[in-house]
Order: sequence, then structure tokens, then C-alpha cells
Amino acid sequence: MYLNVRDATKIYGTFTALDRVSIGIDKGEFVCLLGPSGCGKTTLLRLIAGLAELDGGEITLEDANLSQMPARKRGFGIVFQSYSLFPNMTVAENIGYGLKIRGVARTDIAARVAELLDLVKLPQVADKMPGQLSGGQQQRIALARAIAVDPRVLLLDEPLSALDAKVRAELRDEIRQVQRALGIPTLMVTHDQEEALALADKIICMNHGTVVQAGTPEDLYHRPATRFVAEFMGISNLLPPEDIAQLFPDLLPSRRESERAQLACLRPEQIDIASVADGAATIRSISFLGNLRRLQVDTTVGMLTVETHGANPCRVGDRVALTVAPDACTWVIDDTEPRKAVPA
Amino acid sequence: MNASETIQQRARHQRLDADRLLTAACVGLPLLGLILFFAYPMIIVFLRSITVGDSYGIGNYVEVLGSSGFWRATRHSLVMGGATTLVSVFLGFIIAHGLYRCAFRGKWLIRAIIVLPLLAPSLVQALGLIFLLGRNGVISRALGVEIEIYGFWGLLIANTLYALPQAVMIIGAALVLLDARTYEAADVMGASPWRQFRDLTLPSARFGILNAGFVCFIITITDFGNAAVIGGDYSVLATEIYSQVVGQRNFNMGAVVGIMLLLPTVIAYAIERQAMKRQQAGQTTGQVPYRPVFAPPRDLCMAALSLLICACIVAVIGIVVYASFVTLWPYNMSLSIKHYDITLAGGYSSLWMTILISLGAAVGGTIAVFLLGLGLRRLPHVLAQPVQILAAMPAAVPGMVLGLAYILTFNSTSTPLYLLYGTAALIGIVNFYHYHTQGFLTVMTGFRQLPPALEEAAGSLGAGLGRTACDIVAPFIAPMLVSVFFFLFMRSMVTLSAVVFLTTPQLSVAAVTIMRLDDAGLTSQAAAFSTCVMAVVCGAVLSMKVILAMMQRRRAE
Repeated sequence: MYLNVRDATKIYGTFTALDRVSIGIDKGEFVCLLGPSGCGKTTLLRLIAGLAELDGGEITLEDANLSQMPARKRGFGIVFQSYSLFPNMTVAENIGYGLKIRGVARTDIAARVAELLDLVKLPQVADKMPGQLSGGQQQRIALARAIAVDPRVLLLDEPLSALDAKVRAELRDEIRQVQRALGIPTLMVTHDQEEALALADKIICMNHGTVVQAGTPEDLYHRPATRFVAEFMGISNLLPPEDIAQLFPDLLPSRRESERAQLACLRPEQIDIASVADGAATIRSISFLGNLRRLQVDTTVGMLTVETHGANPCRVGDRVALTVAPDACTWVIDDTEPRKAVPA
Repeated sequence: MNASETIQQRARHQRLDADRLLTAACVGLPLLGLILFFAYPMIIVFLRSITVGDSYGIGNYVEVLGSSGFWRATRHSLVMGGATTLVSVFLGFIIAHGLYRCAFRGKWLIRAIIVLPLLAPSLVQALGLIFLLGRNGVISRALGVEIEIYGFWGLLIANTLYALPQAVMIIGAALVLLDARTYEAADVMGASPWRQFRDLTLPSARFGILNAGFVCFIITITDFGNAAVIGGDYSVLATEIYSQVVGQRNFNMGAVVGIMLLLPTVIAYAIERQAMKRQQAGQTTGQVPYRPVFAPPRDLCMAALSLLICACIVAVIGIVVYASFVTLWPYNMSLSIKHYDITLAGGYSSLWMTILISLGAAVGGTIAVFLLGLGLRRLPHVLAQPVQILAAMPAAVPGMVLGLAYILTFNSTSTPLYLLYGTAALIGIVNFYHYHTQGFLTVMTGFRQLPPALEEAAGSLGAGLGRTACDIVAPFIAPMLVSVFFFLFMRSMVTLSAVVFLTTPQLSVAAVTIMRLDDAGLTSQAAAFSTCVMAVVCGAVLSMKVILAMMQRRRAE
């Protein structure tokens, strides 16, 4: 691994924000830290950036220990959710600031700034002040500023969260293109699973200050290890073995008795639905979402969510039969049981 | 590597990191200043108050508390403080309500006039009243009545005019906080304008009113200039300290009276800070500013009242300017500039010296509070908290007490600090620490608006603390720094109470010269000198407005 975090621990007072977290990023890899707010993902990014100090563990880059190195000496690029362009500098001065600090000649800075403005598709704004740009434009400039100094690692802290949906999708693709083109190892923090699925080579899913699962987007979506990951990575039907025995007995053999996994995870699109006059299930509601329909189906064990693509004659109240391919389900550990209340 | 080795390595590293050294210097130097030029003199003044002969005791207090003069001055101070507070908060509320909750034209005029008393030494109000209502005053002569202006009533009017700008600003700031949508909701629910005033406006302003009350009270009981010029036989604590120290050379007794004056101001200040916090806690973001619509009975009435109050201010200050050009008040009213030929020793030298001192205090003070704010952001809360408390303390100390503390501390040959005694530098220093709190809090407000991500972004681009401070932080809070600079400059130009003990025959400042001219019976020359000071300060205010407007425009572009 290029960048390695081993047993990173961060404690704020009595609250353990990060508990012995270990992750790695390879050269050229795009890694997403995914998790709900308060899971420790931003803390981990700040530790890597050098903006917070480790309380335990170590961070190494190509085997050099970074733990005691201040942020300004790490040579990383960072983009914040809040754009954070310097309001007193023009766009060009913002982008060139890191180079100016490094003592790069004025003409070289100008050339590099022009090149970066082209890269982020805003060649006309060099002399504008940040306040004159839209949110999406500001974030592109922030990205250009971060990569201007050829950072050894690019850190993105929820860079798209403050933007509206359409701009977000555009910029998401551009971040990916730029990262691919330059091959900068990148770590992005996000709470949006769709963003993580679309961008990442590897997703690290976090909860309560620990890593729950790390893997490719496909791994996390189709083979979640725990109930938390299954629920966080999209809609899922989670059923205990008793219910599976009742509804889809064919799936039971895929569960190994030795495993701690207690729940079957069935994605809504993995369940096939057919109108049958004497079907055991009933459609309770249908949401039309454009490219698909999401159905709530009442079964003998409770509500299941099913998604269908294309034309579908089903209507609310129809009796239906549900079927699932025998290898479609993943057994997951139930890690979201109610935590014991801590006495105050 | 075991744990203790790690800690040792970290400690070694922290010692070597330049940014940590710089942070320590940023906090350390201003902190050293606060200790040396605020905390230490305050301790000295306390020790002197309990010094009896060669040992410590409460003898001085017993003596002071047993004297009828002290109790009279205390009673006068409290009565004067209370009366001034009531009147100035009442009038201040009228003007603030007119400015922020009524619709009429010409508010800029009221805004401009209302700050006039802040631009002049406090004794100018008293001078103006003497020219208006004194034995030879314009009004007294026109009416043909003899008004006894020296004493309670004259002092009450002078103090009220002096405290009024503060009351208007504080109450206005509280009124602005109430959202337009609140009034719209009340309208929709059918509340009458009077009910809206009673149920929305007044309750939302209550902390502002309370706050303004305490500020006016502190200003009044600590003011020396007005009391010295127009107080007459109505002795108050501030004049009592002066007469103990300057009249009777009785420093220890002066220290006792100083400590006694400190008590009510510290209490009032502590309550005021709490009220301020409550008001800030009620603030919400995303407000829609209230735009009053013209309601003739209310607005014409409020406009008339506001203009009447403003007319009084203009009359009192304007008469001083006018009188400075009158050949021989009140006998030869033709105009001349002969009073501008100051005959008292030194002439205008004290004016130039005051400008120099004020520039020094403003430059040094602005840098000091900037460094302190910069460093405090990087300190852990446990360390920053006590420094912040110390930095906010000077506002509770009356200028007279601080000045007395300085003379006791720096006129003693026992420490090398004696070298500062009698220098312009010491006067600049006392002015800065006298107004340290206001400057510090202004800068801290600026720092609070600065998003941490800006500094972090600069840091990750490779900028150290010094670079970040110059390239990012200073430009961001530049408007605040400009405000602090001009605030310190203007206060230093006009302040009297803290510096009155520190001037020497060779080294005087403008406010003291005005007092000496008035004492010497050269009232017209005092008026002329006051006019010069006001001209300088007005010039400073205009420069500040221009600079701030330019900054705002540049940022908006």
C-alpha cells in the first residue's frame, strides 16, 4: 500500500471518535470513506491530512512515518465541503497559492493555473473573485487549487454535499475523470452511498469509529458483511432464517451453520414478481420512480420491498407470487441491535 | 517503540516545530503586556490601598469609610450614575426605536449626530453647557435668568449626552435582532401595532436595555472630565480620587477610593457580560431584516423626539465650536481666530504629541490584539480560557483607577519599569490597556467569522502560521482591524481619566490641556483646543468610513 493507516485512534474527552482503524490506499486508487455522520470518517481524513493529532497508531506514506509531520509539510491536497476559497484572492491567486509558497516562478505559476483552469473546464474565470462564482464553480476551483501542487494524496471532505443534485452529478463525473487522468491517490469522505458507488475503486464503510467492511463497490452492494452495510448501501430486505424457511426455502442451504450471520439480505431487484390469482402475497403500494417501480408487498412474514423495471401490469391489491434465484441472497451479521443504554 | 518513548519523541518534536514557537509568541507577548501593564499595576494599587506606614493593614479603609466626604462622594456617584442611566436609556430607546423600528427620512443625520459626543473629550459636553446655560450662557442671557449649572443638573445633562451614543448603539443592536417574519406573523394573527410593540419589540430589547443601563452606569461613575468641569461642589468618586492624589498627594488614600470605585464597576460589568451572552444566545441565522412601513402618528412623533434630542447634542457641541471663534464671550460676539493662538505653556505641542501617542497606541494595540486572537485560536481551550478572561477584564477598571495604578507602579524606582515613567510611550500603553477589552472583543468577533477550513486549506497547501496569518487571516479580518485601529486612535485622542495622572509639565495630552485651559479661566481657548481635537477625530472617523467602504466594495466586486 502507498498510504497506510495502522490502528489510528482518536479520543475527544470520553468519546472515542476512532477506535484502532486501519486502512490503506494504493497508488492511483480512489477510495471512499462511507458512513453516517459521527462515524469517524471525517476525523480519519483530518488525521491523514495532519489537521488533527493521533492519540494512537501511525500513518505512513511509502513507509515514511507521517504521524508527527504538520499538515503543511505533508504535501497533500484537500478540498472541503464549504469550498473554502480564500475570499481576498482572485481565482488565479487561489490556485497558484500553493506554488507561490513553494517559490515557483511567476510565469510558471501563470502557465500552470491556465492549464488547471482548462482541466476543470473554467478557462474564463481567472481574474474573478470567489464570491462571483456559483457553488459548483467554486468547488472546481478548490479542486484545481488542491491539485496544483501535484499532491501526493488528494483528500476530499464531502466535496459535493453543499451542491444541488444536478451540479453534484456533473462534478462527480469530473472529479473521477481528473483523478483518473492524473492518477493521484484519492481519499474521499462521503455519507452518500450512490456517490461512493459511482466514484470509488474501493469503499471503506465505517460506523461508530470502526471500519465495518472494506471492498469494491460491487462487494459492498452485493456481498455486505453486516446488516449495517446492507442497509447503508441501498434498500434491502433483511429476513431471519425462519422467515426465509417460510418464503424462500431454496435459499437456506447457502447459509453455513458455523457463521454468525443471522439475516438474509435480498436486494429489491433480486426478487421476481408475478401476478398469480392465488398468490400468497398482496401488493400494498406502488411508487413510480421513472425507470423503475418500487412495490411494497405484504407477505406472511411482513412487508417486502420489490423493484421492477419496464412495463408491469401489477396494481395495488393484486395477489402475487415472489421468487428468488437460489444464489441471490447474502447472509449478513446483525450488527445493529439496539445498544445497551449507557448509565449517565 | 514503547509509549514513553513516543511521548518523549512527540515532546521533542513539539519543541522544534516553528509554528508552535510562533503560536507561543503570539499569545505570550500580548499576555506579558497584559500582566505587566494591567494585572501588575492593579495588584500594586490594591497593595497600596492596604499599606499603612511600613506594613499592611486596613487602616486606610477605616479612615476612608469613616470620612463623611467619602460617603458624600459615593452617594453622589451612585445617584448620578442611576439618574444618568435612567435618562440616557430612556432617550436612547426613543432614538434606537426611531432608527430601527420606524420609517422616516433623514435617519443618516440622526446617526451622524448621535455619535458626536464620542468624538470629543468628555469635558466638551460640560464646556458646551457652560456656554449655553452658565452665567454668561446664551440661553441664560436671552431669558434673563440665572441658572446654577454647576452641580447636579449640569453634570446630569453632560453625562447623559456622553452616555447616550452607547445606549443608542446597544439598544439598536438588540432591536435589529428581531426578525421581520415575527412581525409578519403577528400581523397575520391580528395583533395591533401597540400590542406588537409591547409583546415583541420590548421583550426582545430587554437584554439590550439592561445592557445599555449597565454600560451607561459604568461610563457615568467612572467619567472624570465632565465632573471636573461642571460638577462644581457636587463631588463624585472620580473627582475624589483626583483630589486625594493630585490635591493632597495622598496616594494610599487615593488607592482606597479607587478600589471602592472598582467595586460597583466590576459588579456592573460582570452582570453586563452575562446579559450580553443571553442576548447572543437568542440570535438565529438567516434573518429577514425588518422594513418598517410609514405610520404617521408613530413615525412623526418618534422623528420629532429624535430630532429634538439631536438638536440638544448639536447645540451643546456646536456652541463650543462657535464660542472658540467669538472674540470676547459674551461681550464682543464678533468672530475672530485669536483663541486659536494658545497661550498656555506648550501651545499646540500637546495636540501633536496626542496624535503621535494615539497613532502609537492604535498601531501597537491593533497588532497586539491581532496576535493574541491568532494565537488563542491555536491554543487548547483550557489554556485559552484564562487568557481570554484576563483580556476582557480591563473594561471593568475605571480609567482613574488604571491611571492611579500606573503612577504607583511606574513612578517607583524599585523596578526597571521606572524608565517608562514620564514618557509618551507609557501614555500610549495606558490608553491601549484602558480600551483593551473593546479592541480584543472586536477582533475576536472577526476571528469567529473566519472559517477554520480557510486556515486548514492554507496549511495543507504548505503555508506556515506566519504566512497564513499574513495571506489569509489578516485580509479576512481586515475590516475588524481597521475598526480597532481607529477605535483605539479616537479613544486615545479624547480620553482624560487614565492619563490625567501621567502627564507632566513637559509632557501633556490634549484632554489634559483643555482641562488646564479651562482651570486657568481661558474657556475660549479651551473651546478652541477642543475644536481642534474634534476636527482630528472627525477626520479619523471619515477616513475609517472611507476605508471600510472601499474594502467592502473590493470584496463585493
